[in-house]
Parts: sequence; structure tokens; C-alpha cells
Amino acid sequence: MGKGKGKQRKQIILPPELPPEIADDDIEVSDEDLQFVDENKDYAGFVSRLDTHSINKQVTRVEGVNEDALEALYEKRRRKTLEQKENEKSVVQVDPVDALPVKSLDGEVYYRTFSQTAEVTENEGDVDKSVVKLTKAERRAKLKKTKKEAKKMGKELAKTEEVQPTQQEAALAEVKEDLTAEDAFEAKKRKLAELGMALLADPEANIKSLKEMLQFAKDGDHSIVKLGLLSLLAVFKDIIPGYRIRLPTEKELEMKVSKEVKKMRFYESTLLSAYKGYLQKLLALEKQPRFHHVVVRCICTLLDAVPHFNFRESLLVAVVRNIGSSDDVVRYTGLLLVYRRICCSTIKSLFTSEGKHGGEATVEAVRLIADHVKVHDCQLHPDSVEVLMSLSFDDDLGKPEVQEGNNKMKNKKNKKRKNFEESNQPQGNDRKRSKQETIAKMKEEVAADYKAVSYTPDVEERKRMQSETLSAVFETYFRILRHTMQSSVASSEANGNITSGGSGAHPLLAPCLSGLGKFSHLIDMDYIGDLMNYLKRLAARGGSSDSSAQKVQNLTVSERLRCCIVAFKVMRSNLDALNVDLQDFFVQLYNLVLEFRPGRDEGEVLAEALKIMLCDDRQHDMQKAAAFIKRLATFALCFGSAESMAGGFTYLNSLVTLKQLLQRNVKCRNLLENDAGGGSVSGSIAKYQPYGSDPSLSGALASVLWELNLLSKHYHPAISTLASGISSMNSAQNQVYISISPQQAFKNLLLEAESFKYNQQGGTEKSNKRKGRSTALASTLASVEPPPIDENEVSKKLRRHFILLRDIKENERLRGELDRTTSALQLYEEYKKQRKPATLKNKKSKKARTTVGM
Amino acid sequence: MRPLDEKETTAVFEKIFKFTGNNLKNIVENPSHEGPDKEPGRYCFRLHKNKVYYVSDSLVKRATNVARTKLASIGTCVGRFTHGGNFHLTIECLNLLAANAKHKVWLKPTSEMSFLYANHVLKGGLGRITESIAPGDGVVVFSMSDLPLGFGVAAKSTQDCRKLDPNAIVVLHQADIGEYLRMENQHEQIIEE
Repeated sequence: MGKGKGKQRKQIILPPELPPEIADDDIEVSDEDLQFVDENKDYAGFVSRLDTHSINKQVTRVEGVNEDALEALYEKRRRKTLEQKENEKSVVQVDPVDALPVKSLDGEVYYRTFSQTAEVTENEGDVDKSVVKLTKAERRAKLKKTKKEAKKMGKELAKTEEVQPTQQEAALAEVKEDLTAEDAFEAKKRKLAELGMALLADPEANIKSLKEMLQFAKDGDHSIVKLGLLSLLAVFKDIIPGYRIRLPTEKELEMKVSKEVKKMRFYESTLLSAYKGYLQKLLALEKQPRFHHVVVRCICTLLDAVPHFNFRESLLVAVVRNIGSSDDVVRYTGLLLVYRRICCSTIKSLFTSEGKHGGEATVEAVRLIADHVKVHDCQLHPDSVEVLMSLSFDDDLGKPEVQEGNNKMKNKKNKKRKNFEESNQPQGNDRKRSKQETIAKMKEEVAADYKAVSYTPDVEERKRMQSETLSAVFETYFRILRHTMQSSVASSEANGNITSGGSGAHPLLAPCLSGLGKFSHLIDMDYIGDLMNYLKRLAARGGSSDSSAQKVQNLTVSERLRCCIVAFKVMRSNLDALNVDLQDFFVQLYNLVLEFRPGRDEGEVLAEALKIMLCDDRQHDMQKAAAFIKRLATFALCFGSAESMAGGFTYLNSLVTLKQLLQRNVKCRNLLENDAGGGSVSGSIAKYQPYGSDPSLSGALASVLWELNLLSKHYHPAISTLASGISSMNSAQNQVYISISPQQAFKNLLLEAESFKYNQQGGTEKSNKRKGRSTALASTLASVEPPPIDENEVSKKLRRHFILLRDIKENERLRGELDRTTSALQLYEEYKKQRKPATLKNKKSKKARTTVGM
Repeated sequence: MRPLDEKETTAVFEKIFKFTGNNLKNIVENPSHEGPDKEPGRYCFRLHKNKVYYVSDSLVKRATNVARTKLASIGTCVGRFTHGGNFHLTIECLNLLAANAKHKVWLKPTSEMSFLYANHVLKGGLGRITESIAPGDGVVVFSMSDLPLGFGVAAKSTQDCRKLDPNAIVVLHQADIGEYLRMENQHEQIIEE
């Protein structure tokens, strides 16, 4: 306790450096003065607010203490700062953000700390013990020394101490705390770095310091905890071996082993236990929002770096949970986005680099995702399913290996036969046979051992894992589809609880559909029927319920288009031998074209649908092709100029598709002729029904493509040239065109396809440059079309178009004015007329009166 | 010549429904532009000498001028009732079915002739097929250039077709346009009767 007291005294030593005269002055305060101060508190108020510390600081530098004392003072001051550094460690520091900082007169910024700090310094004796744990013996010695010296000094300056005002004292203490806090932080950082470096330099020797580092993660200071976690991450990433650690069993422990093996075992077990502790700490801290970011980063990096190591499962669980985290926490949405991106990239890299972990982690991750989707009833962020897209399956895994297996089997059979024969031949030779048997046994054992040791994954194993992964993936996809189906049925009653708006209702449908499209060639034949049924029903959804105005959840147009695309992809990739006509989906597309809005729905999806369904498919019956031609023309026409900038791309697509259809279906060019009724080709339906829902019954052949004529006057050069190009493709020309050379036709088609491709590229660039796109398209199309178009012309045409528009506006305005003036004039006329008779009457009556009077 | 009674109507409609599905409505409600009337009339089914005809209203009115024994045929012959009371579609209704068909099969050019000689459609001759055909559905057979060739009954579903071997039967033959030549005599006889 004596030491403690000494410390206490020493604590208050600083103030006494005041020159004694000043102290004397203080004493000489007269009653009059006091009275004056009391009376004029306003004047004297500043005294209490004086920054005693800064004043003292200056004062301490001044002479007034004899030389010896001065020297001792300086020394002591230095030491004290050192000491306080250590004290600091036990002091709870408030996050700088939590309390507003104070700026002193000399420009230093002080962060306020807890009031507890005062207490802590008083109980320094206790604190010392904890400090000693971490510091070196050297420092301890130093501490003792300083304490002794402090005692001496304390005696010397005991008198002045008591004079010191308590306020000053408190302020001083506070400042010291701050300083020491920073220093301690620095010290800890240094310590962490030291430990880390030592570990990396020689992990086997310094493996124990892992635990020491782990202690940092339990520190009270948040930033220290974070630093500790991150530095541990770096260390683990480096020292974790390339194999999975298996702890020795008890039996193995009992066995005698060499020193090296013992050392190795110790190393591994320490590493494993430290790693386990670290992971537990991570998972525990994950729930706290302030550590969330660091923890997620740590987990992801670990999973990325060492997916083969022990405790991978818990890491995977954490990552998958983070991917699927829904947006409930609005406050952290921005941060969540970052986490999700990190997690996604981790999982993706996990999928792509299967060599690291032999594919087991992939299976686990996919299974976890499947379970996650199941648990959350498909209400998750789309990213959680989108990661499945980066899976890759080895198609060739099955067949050649099987053949090899067969060969092996054959070989074995042969061998067996040989053996059999051999054994048949020398029947009595038992010894030889037993020898052979032992040899075979040995060989088998060796092979098994080799297999266990070598890291080349077994083909059978890989096949099994792949099929497992696939089944999990498709389970997820089918669950989402089914959920979408069911939710639509159920939602008529419970519509409120599911958030509305865009894809909010079925967040997972879009990635699910794209995934189905990608893996369509892997779907089992048995499921295809059900899948097509689902897709058909999903694609059909919306049309009927729109009209009935029910509150059934509709899929957006893009989603329904995607359904059609997926159906075609599935069919194409699975039924190459059998050409199946997907009539229902054509009906859907036919109706969806009308519902499509360029601003609202995604143009790329429509482009893809048109390409896959209409351009890639060779055969269409005439009625259907004609119906699509007519409808696409209508579609291209029916948007005003306001939407055309956004929808220009869509126009072009529809027009290009139209052109392709026309080129392929010669008979449909009757549409281009100015002869309504269609003649003999028109079939049984004599009249075009523009609102019909079935393309083969619409009777489009009876109509005329008058839309092209209007479109050829479109201000957009690409559209106008394309439209006029199509309309000039009448039957007279095209007979020549067909008869001339199929090669030329083919070339034309190629050009067409090229331009089409470019269009699609333009579509992907859509978001980048909206305005630039249309001109780019124009120029590319210009390169295809005969008349070259430069930007000047475009601008000229645009100008003309807008001038025309402005003229129309002006005209309207003028007319309005004219109407107003004419009406005013008319009113005036009427007024005049009314007045005239009145005056006349007056006159007449006057006259009459006068006459009467007369 | 008389309208069909209820039993006969159901028999006829059920048969046609197999081929056209909900498009049966189009057949019944198809407006006819025959005759002098400005208003488009309707088509109706009439029974004459065991045969069912698809006739426009105005033609029915005008046909009343002809004696029943003298009337050989009227409108489009759709099918006939057998002695057992069953209804069979005949090749003359092909155009009607083709325009409204729900299930279609397109034949490869090589197997067209085989079908036109009243053989069944084999998997090997299949050029294209509509999806979601169930066994027992009525199927209209087209050539690759969309010319209706005949009709039949599906023996296998679309899904099953994939796994079949090329010689398996996909569509059972019922009628084809080859009959116009093959059974010329029979048709003539009917008309002469």
C-alpha cells in the first residue's frame, strides 16, 4: 500500500512546479478581493474557466526550482508517461466517436474518456498486476525505480502539493489518460505485429504465441479486437498446412513415437485448437453489428484460402447465411450489399477452384444453399441463387470413364478367365495357387494404399459428388418454380404480407430461370415434362388475370419472356433429334409482344426471345409467321417518339426479326402487296383479327403491312432505312432475288445476322451509354445498308423532325389565340347588336313619347 | 337430310374435339359468306344417308329444293356413321381439322409417300412434332411445307417419342389424301348411288 500511496502523491506532483511566489500571492487574497469577486461574478467568471493545465505547462517550464530538482522533474515526467502507457491498457477507452472531442487552447484535441479512469488510476496497484503479465521484466524493474524516486520527490514537494487546486488535478489526470491510451494502443499494435512476424518466421517454434494473439481478440478495445482478428487471419492463412489435420486417437497417443513426430503432433494440435478458438470467436462476434464487417471479411478470406481445412462446415454455414441475408435491416443496407458481394465472390471462387478441396466443399455449399432456400421459403436475395450459375459440370466425366471401366472389367474378366484356365490346367498345384493369391492380395492392398495417399480424386467419387451437386441445384430450382406457382394461387387471399413491386414477389425467379437455361442440358429426361408444364403455366400467367383485374400476383413481362426462353433452351438442348414445336409458348410470345413496354421491361430479354424463338427456328407455318410479322410491325409502330430513345433498340430488333421472317417465308410477302384479302393464301380466315390471341388463327395473311410505309418516314435513320428496305422487298423483286443465287441470299442473311448480333451487343451496353447507342446502331446499320448515313444527316433529320413538332405546337398556339380573338370579336358584335336594338328602342320610345307628348 | 339428334351431335363433337381441342368453337362459330345475304350466316352439321355434312345455312335452305333421294352430297362431308352407330371422320374434313388442329406432326419428305399409302407414321419419319401430345389424341399430319396430308391417332406421347427406336409407330393412320386416288371408285360409287 505504501507504494500505492507514493504513487498517489506522485500523481499530484506535477502541479507543484508552480513558482512559489505565485502560491504566496494566492494566499494573500484579501477579504476585499473576495467580496469584489462575489459581487461581480460576471467579470470573474472567466477565472473558473481558465485552462489551468496549459497555464501550468508554461509555468513549469519557467525557472523557480533549483537545478537538481529540475533535472529530477524532467526525468520523472518522462517516466510517468511511460508508466501511464501501461496503465492505459486497463482503462476502458470510449470510442472517439461516442463523445465529442475537446480542443484545448494549444490546439490539441482531447477525446473524453470514461469517468472510471480516475478510479483506475487510483487503484493502480491492482492494475499493475495485470500489466505485469504483458510487459517484460525490464519494465517492472523500471517501475520500481520510478516509484522510489517518486517517493523522494513527493516528500520534497509535499507542501506545495496540498496547495494545488483540485480542479487542475483532475484535468491533468484526464489529459494523461488520453495520452497513455494512445500510447498503449501503439504498444499493443506493435506487440501484435511482433507476434505475427515471429509466427510467420518460424511457425513451429512460436506456435504458442497463437494463443497469446488470440487473447488480443478478447480485448476490451474494439479496434484492438479488429486488429487482432485481422492479424490472426493473416497468420492462419499462411501457416495452415495443405492437408486436413486429424488429431491422433488415444491409441496412437499411447504408442511410442519419435521426438519429431511428437513435436509435429503438438504443433498440429495447438494450431487446431487455436484455429477452433478463433473460429468460435469469429462466429460469436458475427452477431455484433460493429464487428460484422471484419468478421465477414475474415470468414470469407479463410474459406477462400483454406477450403480443405478442418471446420470448413461452420465457415460455409456463416457465408451462406450472409449471402441470403434479406434486406430487413434497412439501416445496414449499404453495408449488407458489400458483405453479400464478398460472400458471393467467395462462393464463386469456391465453385470455380474445385481443385483446392476436391469438390466436397462445392457439394456442401450447394446443399446448404438448397436448405437455406427451403427454410426461408424462397424469400431471399437473388444473389443467393445466382451464385449457382458459376458452377461448372464436367460433361465428359461420365462416358469415357465408363468405357474405361468396361475395359477394365473386360480385362479383369480376361484375367479371371486366364486364371481360371491356369487353375484348371495345373489342378494339383495348390502351393502355386496360394502364392498367386497372396500376391494378388498384396497388390490390392498396395493399390488401396496408393489411392488413399494420392490426391487425385477418384472418378467414381467425383461423379457421385457431381450428381449430388446437380440434384441439389435442381432441387433448389424446382422448389423456386413450385413456390412461384403456389404463391400465385395462395396470394389471392394473402396478398398483403408479401411485398409488392417489380420482382419483389418472386426475387429468386429470375436467377432460377437463367440457371435452368444454363444447365438445361443436364436436366434428367424424366423431369422435362413437369418442367415444361410449370413453365407453360408460368408463362401463361398474367394475361388472363390482367383482364379479370384480380389481385393475383402477376409475373412481369420479362419474367414471362424468360420462361419462354428457358423452355426453348431446354427443348433445344435435350431434343435435338426430335424437333418439337412449342406452340403454347409461341402463343405466349405473340401476346407478350403487345404487353411489352420498352421503358419498363428489359429489351435484351425480348431480343433474346425473338432471336431464339423466331430467328433460330427454321420452320414456321405460314399463318404463324404472318401473324408474327404483322404483330411485330404493329409493335414497332405503336410507340411515340418520347419512348423511342429507350425503345429504339427494341424497334430495330423487332424490325430485323420481321425482315428475317419475311425472307424465310416467301409466301408471307403477300403482306407487302397492296391487296387486302390476301387472295388464295389467306386460308380459311377471311379477316384479320388484330386482338386475336392465337397466331395461327389471326388471319394475318389477309392484311397489309401498311405500318412499314409509316415507319419508313421515321426520324430515326436506322429504322426508316430498314423499313423502306423491307417494303421494297416485294414479290417481284424477290423472285429475282431467290432465283439469282442462293449464295447471295446466304450472304445477305449473314450480314443480317451480324447486324443482329451487334444489336444485341448494343443492348448490353445499354446502361453505359444510352444516347451514344442509337447513333452507334445507326452507323453500324448504315454500314450494312446501301446508303451511308453520317451523324450530320442524323442531326439534320432530327432537327427537321423537331422543327416540325415545334411548328405544330406553334400552330396550335396561334390557332388558340385566333379562336380567342374571334370569339371576343363575336361577343363584341353581339354586344353591339344587343345594344343597337336597345338604343333604337330607347330612341323609338323617346320618339313615341315625344309624339305622345306632341 | 336432317339435323343431328343429341346423341349423334355428341358423337361428332367428341370426335372433332379430339383433334381441335378448344378450337372446336371456331368450327361451330365460323361465319359463312355464302349466299345472297349481307349478314354472314353460320355453318351447321346435317345428316344425309349416314353421312354428316358441314354446310352453311344458306346452302341448306337452297338444298331443300332437291329431293332427298336425288341429293348426292352437300357442303363438306365430315364423316359417316357406321352400322354400329360409331362416327368416323373421313378425309374430306382434313382442311377443317388442319386449320384448327391442336396437335400436329410434320413428316420428313422421305416418309410422306409411305403415309400417303395408308401406312402408320414411324418415329424415323418424324420431322417435327408438337409438344404435349398424349397417347390417344387426334393428330393432323403435315408435310414439311405445311401441306396437310391426313390425320390419325397418337400412339405415343411427345415425351415418349424421344426414347423410341426409329421403327416404332408414333401416329396410327386414319385417313390421308392418297385416298382420293386409291378409293376413287368407292367415292364415285357413293356419288352415283
